[in-house]
Amino acid sequence: MLSVGGNFPEYAVPGAKQVRFEPYADNGGSIVAIAGDDFAVIGADTRLSTGFSIYTREQKKLFKLSDKTVLGATGCWCDTLTLTRLLSARMQMYEHEHNKSMSTPAVAQMLSTMLYYKRFFPYYVSNVLAGLDADGKGCVYSYDPIGHCERSNYRAGGSAGAQLQPLLDNQIGLKNMQNVTEAPIPKEKALALLKDVFISAAERDIYTGDCIYILIITASGIQEEKFELRKD
Amino acid sequence: MFLTRSEYDRGVNTFSPEGRLFQVEYAIEAIKLGSTAIGICTSEGVVLAVEKRITSPLMEPTTIEKIVEVDRHIACAVSGLMADSRTLVERARVECQNHWFVYNERMSVESCAQAVSNLAIQFGDSDDDSGTAMSRPFGVAVMFAGIDEKGPQLFHMDPSGTFVQYDAKAIGSGSEGAQQSLKEVYHKSMTLKEAIKSALTILKQVMEEKLSENNVEVVTMTPGSMFHMFTREQLAEMIAAIPELQWTDSSSSRNTIQDLSKLRLGRQTV
Repeated sequence: MLSVGGNFPEYAVPGAKQVRFEPYADNGGSIVAIAGDDFAVIGADTRLSTGFSIYTREQKKLFKLSDKTVLGATGCWCDTLTLTRLLSARMQMYEHEHNKSMSTPAVAQMLSTMLYYKRFFPYYVSNVLAGLDADGKGCVYSYDPIGHCERSNYRAGGSAGAQLQPLLDNQIGLKNMQNVTEAPIPKEKALALLKDVFISAAERDIYTGDCIYILIITASGIQEEKFELRKD
Repeated sequence: MFLTRSEYDRGVNTFSPEGRLFQVEYAIEAIKLGSTAIGICTSEGVVLAVEKRITSPLMEPTTIEKIVEVDRHIACAVSGLMADSRTLVERARVECQNHWFVYNERMSVESCAQAVSNLAIQFGDSDDDSGTAMSRPFGVAVMFAGIDEKGPQLFHMDPSGTFVQYDAKAIGSGSEGAQQSLKEVYHKSMTLKEAIKSALTILKQVMEEKLSENNVEVVTMTPGSMFHMFTREQLAEMIAAIPELQWTDSSSSRNTIQDLSKLRLGRQTV
């Protein structure tokens, strides 16, 4: 700031001192989730950054909530940590109260209400929830920071969400294409596509890169996979 | 015995030297003054049948509501102090809606019973800072009938907050005789139609009034149509189909039940 008082004493005025409260940080990161007939894949990059500096190149942003539900969360990292710990605690309480594990749609609705309960001081987190529903079908739920929830078959979120989503719309949603027939997406294609869109995102978004950490959710369990991205 | 009892039967949060809570036991006794209610759980659904005591011909029978809908998939039959039951039913409804709001799924019948029992056991919370002082246990027994992911379910909860799942259960004044009859008539492969008939037959046996479409309430909970309360016409039809009792049988069983309750009352006051 221009120090008015030092160079131009005649302009010096006793101004109001502003004390700003900045509770949020943007630590970047992107998530992509794709649901198939009997599986769901979800991937998130592993770069944790602030502005032009990188905190770490190996931060996992996917949280296994149960053996059929995974949450991807990016944004303000401290909010992510608090939110996911609270989620696990609430899921544990549900298990004890109702003697059963939570279904993915139940987790999805609970996350929505938890976010809305912080309507006027929200968790600054971009959430994408992936898993298998009660019928064993893959499902993806996406959120805004104050709890709007939508179920879909594919979704990109986080810092490069806006760049990734149109590509998914075209490749999975078959949008803006002629003479195409809709067919359920096979697991291998979903995985390959997920890697492709992340490569594109890493080219443009400085908050996305280093590596993708992928979880593949099927009825037989959750598999892990890693895929390298550009590191600059 | 009388002395020890009178000293320890006042507080709801004081055990007697024998380790009993008399107020809770008295509350359980209070149920046995209530009208009879029967619940039978079959693989096709659950039936609830209750007796309505029409104490005056000037009374409007439809205003006595002993079976209520808690949520689309859960019904409740109550016996005992009706005013107390309103509080419990209100809690059950709130808990079911809250569960739907938070988890976007229907609450299981067991969880609903659990939630209501949490309210039922709060009678001790009077002298701490919680603010809401409850002076006594609720004088009602509740039967929860519902359909959830485990299928048709029937739960019974007493004033102590204890809840147990049953295949068939009777509560209220005629419960001892009715429970005995249920034991004889119940079998795992019972159809819902058989269950309704059995429930009404047993109710007819234990009721002091003559069973009619005016003094009985019947509700079925089925996976297809969920809560269904029988209309007067349907009730009349069902009642007409019940075989007439052999007079000697019914009078003797009725007498035994009345004798039993007299005995019990006698024990209680002495």
